[in-house]
Amino acid sequence: MIFPFTAIVGQDEMKTALILNVIDPAVGGLLIMGEKGTAKSTAVRALAELLPETEAVKGCPFNCDPDGRVLCTDCRERLQTEGCLDRERRRMRVVELPLGITEDRLVGTLDIEHALQKGEKRFEPGILADANRNFLYVDEVNLLEDHIVDLLLDSAAMGVNTVEREGVSFTHPAGFILVGTMNPEEGDLRPQLLDRFGLCVQVLSIMDKSARVEILKRKAAFDAEPRTFVESRRKEQAELVERIVAAKTRLKTVALPDDVLEKIVGVTAALNLDGHRADIVMMKGARALAAFRGKEKIEHSDIADAARLALNHRMKRLPFEETGRGREKLQSLLAEFSA
Amino acid sequence: MTFSSIVGQEDAKLALILNAIDPRCGGVLFVGEKGSGKSTLARSFAELTGEGRPFVELPLNATEDAVLGDADLENTLITGTEFRRPGLLERAAGGTLYIDDVNLLLPEIIALVSKGQTDCILMATMNPEEGALSSHFVDRFGMCVPVEALKEAPKRVAVMRQAMEPVRSCLSGSDDGLADSREKIESARKRLGRVAVPADVLDYLVRRCMENLVSGHRADIRLFYAARAYAVYLGTETVTEAHVDAVLPLVLAHRRRVFQEPEARQDLSNREAPPDGKNGKDSRDAGNGSETQQESKEQSSRLVRDELYGVPRESAAAEEVFGVGEDFKIRRLTFRKDRMNRTMSGRRTKTGSRGKRGRHVKSILRDNNDIAVDATIRAAAPFQKLRGRKGMLIIRDEDLRYKQREKRMGHLIVFVVDGSGSMGVSRRMIETKGAVQSLLMDCYQKREMVAMIVFRKDRAETVLPPTASVETASKRLREIPVGGKTPLAAGLLETFNLIRRVRIKSEETRFLVVVITDGRANHSLSGVPVREEIKKMTEMLRSLPATDYVVVDTEDKTKIIRTDFAREISSALEGDYYRIDDLKADYLTAVIRKKTMSM
Repeated sequence: MIFPFTAIVGQDEMKTALILNVIDPAVGGLLIMGEKGTAKSTAVRALAELLPETEAVKGCPFNCDPDGRVLCTDCRERLQTEGCLDRERRRMRVVELPLGITEDRLVGTLDIEHALQKGEKRFEPGILADANRNFLYVDEVNLLEDHIVDLLLDSAAMGVNTVEREGVSFTHPAGFILVGTMNPEEGDLRPQLLDRFGLCVQVLSIMDKSARVEILKRKAAFDAEPRTFVESRRKEQAELVERIVAAKTRLKTVALPDDVLEKIVGVTAALNLDGHRADIVMMKGARALAAFRGKEKIEHSDIADAARLALNHRMKRLPFEETGRGREKLQSLLAEFSA
Repeated sequence: MTFSSIVGQEDAKLALILNAIDPRCGGVLFVGEKGSGKSTLARSFAELTGEGRPFVELPLNATEDAVLGDADLENTLITGTEFRRPGLLERAAGGTLYIDDVNLLLPEIIALVSKGQTDCILMATMNPEEGALSSHFVDRFGMCVPVEALKEAPKRVAVMRQAMEPVRSCLSGSDDGLADSREKIESARKRLGRVAVPADVLDYLVRRCMENLVSGHRADIRLFYAARAYAVYLGTETVTEAHVDAVLPLVLAHRRRVFQEPEARQDLSNREAPPDGKNGKDSRDAGNGSETQQESKEQSSRLVRDELYGVPRESAAAEEVFGVGEDFKIRRLTFRKDRMNRTMSGRRTKTGSRGKRGRHVKSILRDNNDIAVDATIRAAAPFQKLRGRKGMLIIRDEDLRYKQREKRMGHLIVFVVDGSGSMGVSRRMIETKGAVQSLLMDCYQKREMVAMIVFRKDRAETVLPPTASVETASKRLREIPVGGKTPLAAGLLETFNLIRRVRIKSEETRFLVVVITDGRANHSLSGVPVREEIKKMTEMLRSLPATDYVVVDTEDKTKIIRTDFAREISSALEGDYYRIDDLKADYLTAVIRKKTMSM
């Protein structure tokens, strides 16, 4: 039993950011900065649990989307020989990337057992295969070894994992929602990795006494009678699913007029941000937010809220400036643009 | 995203077109920061070249056997003789080998690509913030284009619109722009043989290369083919000086000698002129080739050159001084020579990896208890028929192959600083903090960590646990109390314990301990005489593997009473000894840089 998403107290920014990634995976993942014990991993697992099943190619270890643009080498061959692909329904999962992971386990490698017994080469899928169309959760992403980060980014960039090693050549889709957590005290992320996370939120322990009491109560209730507790949240859970599903459909119809795009560029230009990623993430975030809020049009509040999520980690600051200062700057800038 | 839908980036597009017309242009290296669109550009080349010319991607995970080719297991088993599977280099023959983030590739793999005698061209991208490439390898690329994110608002809006468009299938063929470009390229290819290069233009071409102090003759050859392809693309059949000038920046961006005087660069930007106006749209933005554009082009090309070879963006002459806090200043150091050396030898110290971690580079015969099963199977495959295999493969001792792994190790620099009440302690702290900051500012590429231990009063304290975070360092180092006695032994003990702790977690780390003291140790930990105690400590420290020492002696040697104890400590540690009465952050950083380079 997993603690219901809607029963998590507070941490609204984190919850929203996760939902936006589900509505539009192109938003590009989420980096959660903060202390231990702030419901980070619970929230991701709870959200995955909540989501409706999706279609996948039957039996495919790479979770290929039968209607997707990219198929794995096996499915591609099967489609060519058989003309169609069988389908099955699967739940979204949270795949964890352990810190000590080896290169082989990440990208996949030769299936040794099969090779020894049958004398045939077969590709043994790695974590990137498991993660396709799922959440890839990296706890303490800043402690990940450099060469693993490089490989991770390599496939994350294209949504495809191309393997050329140990005698096997294989390609499979590897599009995942990357969720990383880090404690900034334990060292920075390379700027290149930081930039690859679409959104970023900071979570803090909740300091409001009544809220903390509420957290305790719910946790105790869940631990005592998980079934009853989950049952008691059924209505809220169903409503949230419905909202997310509706937002997914509405996404395509949300208009992107020039004045919205110009406003976004205005903000990033005023902050002197390099690269196009900030613009694109902000726009996708704002659109997903508008869709989630049931609107057909992006409003200033959507842009402002998306900016807070998308620019948190992209703000240029001197090495000794604290993160908070950037937030104030952003706040006043957004106020300016609302006029 | 397709070639024709890419917004702006005219230089990059021209480079791609010229290479599509004539592969002898030698490929393109796209250099740019994160999110600038360099990968999108490089990948779009696959669409331009059309059928018959393979586009093969070399992923970062590639092992040596994948690059060079290896035994094909199934066929080898059936035939009983070794059956080869072509490697990536062979598969790319006659086409393109594409490498994303080429500077993150293992040096061993780069060497294979660099030496590979195949007739494919290289397309690659790199983000200079991630590390440098050797000039030798960079020279393999015919052209080099700096890619910068677009600055103008309307263009940025256009890029956003592009990003929102559904991905078009390359096969749908509905892309008019692409079809148009392809057609032009096809027609240009047909006319390529007819183009004449007059003797005086050839002369001019060589002169331009010589003026720009390029090394070797590759530039001349690449420039020749590029100018020819450009001429034919514009629809003419005679190459002119203007054609040469137009493609010159593409060919020379990465080849001009780094230590060039600024005057020479200036001259180049003046000569660079787009071809005559009547070539219209086809010529590179002839209409609005304003001065500012020229300037920024020149600037960015210089930037590429500097960043390729690891020269930081601030020109070496103008060391920038950042004002940090109120108490100390920090310099971004630019030891150019050191950086060049580093470029040549790869970006970090390498080591044969002892554990079973790290990247599997290739398979070897030497037994290291780490069997490479894939290579073993391939080695056994040809003999299976002979050995009478029924089901399971029959593996014998002589088939066994082992993994050679490589792991990049980091450095941990431990500062051990005297915080006692002796002379000049606050200055010493300020300058040491400055050095810590400089090292960390500079450490994104090398991924070093820094720690700081301060000893004063009756104990030593790790005021900065190992970190690679500038932020954490500045937070922790803001206030360090000073004054009191000099418990040097405690400082050394704390150092010993710290290194032991770190070694448990990451055994590949190398350590550099920098002891900064005036050597006037006057507080014992255990009650035994101070000097004796310190001798014990130095013995312990010397027993630590992979650890080097630098002792910086800050004792005022003009005084009559000198201890010279710091020198004794340094010889006991077999470390380097530096004596200074005027400690400066940049001096300290230079000393450490020099040391880590040789470690």
